[in-house]
Formats: sequence, structure tokens, C-alpha cells
Amino acid sequence: MKLVASCKISNQGVFLNSKLVPNTKSTETNWKKELYTKTGVTYPKFYKMDALAKLAFLSYSYLDKALKTESYADNDIALLFANAASSKTTDLKYIESYKEKGSPSPSLFVYTLPNILTGELSILNKWYGENVFFIEEKFDPEFYLEQINFYFSKGAKGVLAGWVESNDTNEECFLFFVENNGNELTIEELTNLYKS
Amino acid sequence: MSDLRETLKEQIIEQLNLEDLTPADITNEGPLFGDDGLGLDSIDALEFIVLLESNYNIKIADPSEGKEIFHSVDSLAAYIEKNQ
Amino acid sequence: MKIYITGYGLISSIGMNADESLVSLKNHSTGIEDARLETMKGYKVGAIHATNEELKEKFDIKTNCSRTALLGIIAAKQAFNGHPLSNEIRTGLISGTSVGGMDVSEVEYKNYLDGENHNPDNYKHHSSGVSSEQMAAEIGATDFVNTISTACSSAANALMMGARMINNGLLDRVVVGGTDALTKFTISGFKSLMIFDEEWCRPFDESRKGLNLGEGAGYVVLESEKSISLSKQKPVAMLSGWSNASDSFHQTASSQDGHGAQLSMQEALNVAGLKPEDIDYINAHGTATPNNDLSESQAIKKIFKSRIPPFSSTKAYTGHTLAASGGIEAVFAILAIQNGYIYPNLNFRNAIEETGLIPQLKFSENNKVKHVLSNSFGFGGNNSTVIISAV
Repeated sequence: MKLVASCKISNQGVFLNSKLVPNTKSTETNWKKELYTKTGVTYPKFYKMDALAKLAFLSYSYLDKALKTESYADNDIALLFANAASSKTTDLKYIESYKEKGSPSPSLFVYTLPNILTGELSILNKWYGENVFFIEEKFDPEFYLEQINFYFSKGAKGVLAGWVESNDTNEECFLFFVENNGNELTIEELTNLYKS
Repeated sequence: MSDLRETLKEQIIEQLNLEDLTPADITNEGPLFGDDGLGLDSIDALEFIVLLESNYNIKIADPSEGKEIFHSVDSLAAYIEKNQ
Repeated sequence: MKIYITGYGLISSIGMNADESLVSLKNHSTGIEDARLETMKGYKVGAIHATNEELKEKFDIKTNCSRTALLGIIAAKQAFNGHPLSNEIRTGLISGTSVGGMDVSEVEYKNYLDGENHNPDNYKHHSSGVSSEQMAAEIGATDFVNTISTACSSAANALMMGARMINNGLLDRVVVGGTDALTKFTISGFKSLMIFDEEWCRPFDESRKGLNLGEGAGYVVLESEKSISLSKQKPVAMLSGWSNASDSFHQTASSQDGHGAQLSMQEALNVAGLKPEDIDYINAHGTATPNNDLSESQAIKKIFKSRIPPFSSTKAYTGHTLAASGGIEAVFAILAIQNGYIYPNLNFRNAIEETGLIPQLKFSENNKVKHVLSNSFGFGGNNSTVIISAV
């Protein structure tokens, strides 16, 4: 498989293909909103997304600049995502909505599943391919490469893969897009890409 | 009158968990729903029903009435003023 | 490569194992009733009427675990009963869950918010992955353990992933399925979305109003040919087709024409090498929400055209068991094939006006049931289909 592009975002900035995009680092708590205004993309649905979906959306908005997804048919691209904390941040907010505020919030409940973010990316791009969300202890490049190969053997032409995390201490999203042709992306390369 | 609209904007942000928005980002007359608005949908309409009930004691029994009432901050304010 | 099914296990409100479940299915006897627990009062649910302590005693389980993990252990143990462990058979477990250990966490968190004593240690049950690890440890399927969290399609996706890992030579045998316990978290959530029915749910009925929640777990054991030659287990069915597609419409609602559902059913047929007319029975996702049942019906009509096989939703029996549903319904499919059964769609009176489709109305025996198609559609537009076939 061939790595087409990668993007990692956190409040440390946007790293597109391992290079820091200027002016994307932020110490503000609303760094995600700041980043949204910098993407140049207009997508009002951004505001109602939860942390995980926002992270995935923002990261994809930058990654998209380096991709040519229009050349794919609408079920050619598979989505492979995972994290360790599932939808914990939103889960706790949701519990508070009925415990503290006395009325369970439907708009929060919608996001108490980590795979809603794959739904958001599909809706954004009108993709109808396979999509899955795993719960893993940590980012495991070997696991990702294995799964991606399954998708390719099934006929997918491209895979958008990501590790999207939002927990007490950390918010980050690492996305990468691979095609079914060309040089082998190795476990080591993928590990380094994630760490960089 | 304008106080109600400003208060409503704050309440909408709070109720719908639009934490990255400020009242300044929401216009009085602009559509709240759909792609031309804030991208709100039928799930968010349920939140408006809760908002009206808990903050203004106004019950909307039929969610389908909501489309007109929740169209914009202006229409929402008008409905509240009429039903208080 | 052929994927053999050599074991199955389930627990739900209609039975604590396959035999009990079949009695309920035959007798049109639903497990859904007014909730007995205080935290769920006012709702009709498919609850398993036993406390965790009672279940642990009945099934001789000593692990300190959440209810979700406990139900999973019970079903996985049933499925894996009699299967020998061996260094030569790489055995894994892939489990789907949506609530994980939330049944414990929500109680602990309530204590925390109320300023009462709470034990932070109990949060260790919370992670979805923990239930899978505990299940795997209990049965010894520890060569590979993974957890899928894609809402109501989780178990079906676990079956699919298991088949792929066997096909690609990464595992020889894998226990796959899903588990979810009833929690205040999910009950309040579905209530807030206004998709509950206060009465017994009516899948595919024109007057349907929404779903009833349920709890349970369902697992099957998948084996390769090599594995069977070593384990000497007798196959009870085959996993012949599987598929997943995105509906790409809304976070929680399905598209009007059931586009994602069409894609997943068609692709599962392709994987199985079957034509629509080969399917003898469809176990539908059929949650009884106005949205799903119309959407799924449209998709069924598109795929099966004028030759729609008998179909039903068994969720009027068990309630919607969320991540467990694909696992429980896979077991129902196996039992249908083994016994020639077709299950009824309870509470049906009138067909949906737009589609005119009438599901199976009575429990039926002596049918030739060779191929069963089972749908599981999750929030996030995650649509999955599996096809289970006779050996």
C-alpha cells in the first residue's frame, strides 16, 4: 500500500505530512474552533459535533488538501478508526445532562458512540463504503496495516484510517490515507509518522 | 426585547452544546436549521422543545410544529412572547 | 476459504440459553414487559430477570465484572463449551459492545455527583475493552482480543472481522458476537430521542411508534477447516456472507430509500456467491422505529424485488439489545437452519402503507431453511449484513 498523505492535529498544531502548518498551534481551550476558522472550510454542522467528530473533521479538512478523493467511486473508500477512551468525554457530559440538569440531552446522546465520527465523515463526503471503529489500548500500527489489507483484498481502492482520542489529558487526531498500489508502508514508517 | 433574543442565543448554545459558538455568531433573523443555518436538524429540534419547557414553561406537544417556531431566533422570540 | 460455525451461546430476556429461547420463540412469548427495576420504571424493556449475583451463582462465574461483561461471559462460555484449547489452534475473541461497563460507572458516578462514598476502582470496568478481555480470559481465547464499538451493528461487524482474520490466516478460530446490559444511560438517551414505544413495539407495522430496549449477549464460534481437523468440533452452520456499508445520511436516522442497507445486503450476497432468491428467511434489523422499518423495507424491496422471502424482526421478542443484537440474531439464524424454523414478527397488524410488506406472522416449522440473511444497522449509518447457511 502507498501512503498518500497524513495529518496529525492537537493543540500543538497541525502537522500535514509531518510538517507544521504555520499559525496552527494554540494554547486556547477553544483551539478547535480557532482551527475551524483557519481551515477555510464552511460547514455549520461542525458546531454541533462532539470533540471526537470535530477532531476528525478538522484533521480531514487539512488532509483533504493533499488528496484527490473525487477520483474514487462512492464506495471505493473504507474508513478504519480506533481509540482507547471510546466516547468518554461526551458520555460524561451526557450523564451530567440528566443528573445535573434534569433532562437527558438528545443532541449529546447522539455522540455517545465513537463511530458517529465515521458517519460524519461519510456524510460530509457522500462515501458509502465500509466503516468500523475499534477500541484499542493504544495506537497499534501493525493492527491498522492488517485491517487495511483486509479492505484492499475486498476491493477498496483507498482507506482513510485514524486514531482519534479525547480524554481527560489529551485531545488528538492522527489521520492517514493509503491507496492500494505502490510501495509498502511499513509498521516502522507508520509508527514514526504517528510520533512525529 | 433584544434582551430576550440575546438570552435565547445563550440558551441555544447551552442547550444544544454548541460550545464553540458565541451569541455574536448567531443572527436574529438567519435560519437555525439546515445547511443555510447552523446545520441543526430534527434531533436538535427536540432540544428546543426541552429549552422552551424548562426555561419558559411552554409545552410543545407535537414536534412537527417546531419547524416554524424554531426557524430563527426572531421566530422563537415571537412565539415565546405570544405564549407567556 | 470456508468459515464454519461450531458453537453458539446466548442470553436474553427470552431465555438464558438456546433451548429456553426456542421455547419462547415457539410460544410467541415475548420477554418485553414493564421494567421492574426502579431506575427504569415506566418503560417496557426486555430485561433479564436476575441480578448479577444470581447470574454468577447460576453460571458459576467468579470474576468481578460489569453486567455487560457478565452477560458476555455467560454467552461466550456456552458457545465455547467443549472446545479444546491447543497451541496449534490460534484462538481469538472479537466482541461488540456499546455500553461496556457503563452499568457500573453510572452508579459510581451518581454516588460521586451526590457527594456519597464512591469507589474509583470500579471505573476500571468502564472501558469497552475490559469486558472483552475478561470474556477472553474466562474461556482461554486469548491469542487475539479486540472490541468493536459501532453501535447496533457491532456484533455483526465482529462476525465479519472474525471471518476475515480466518480467511487471511491470522487466526484459526475466533469467538465473535456482542453484549450489552440495560443501563439508565441508554434508556434516558433513547427517551430523549423520542424513539421509544410506551407499548410493545410493532416492527414493520403501519402504526409502529418506536422501539423497546433489551439486554443480552450472543456469540458464535468460527473455525477454519484446519481448526476443525484439530478441534474435532462438528459444524452446525456456515458463515457464508458478510458486509458493511455506510448509509451516509444522518448520525442516527436512516436514509429514506435505505441506500446503505441495500449496499450491505447486496454485498453480503456477493460474498456468499448467492442470488436474492437463494435466501430462505430474513431476520431483519426491524427496530420498530418509523424510520428504520420503512428504510429497511425499501431496501429489501429493491434487492429482493417481487420474490421477498419470509422475513421478521425478532426484536419484539427480545427488545433491541443494541450491540448484542447481531450476535443474538446470528444464533437465531443458526437455530432456524438446524430446525427448519421461521420466526414470527410479533405485534403486527397492518402493513406499512408505502411498502405493503407483510412479515411472517406465525412461528413455522418444517421449512427448508438453507440460507438466512441477518441485518444489523447501527447509528452513524453503519450498516452490516451477515448470511448464515447450512453446512
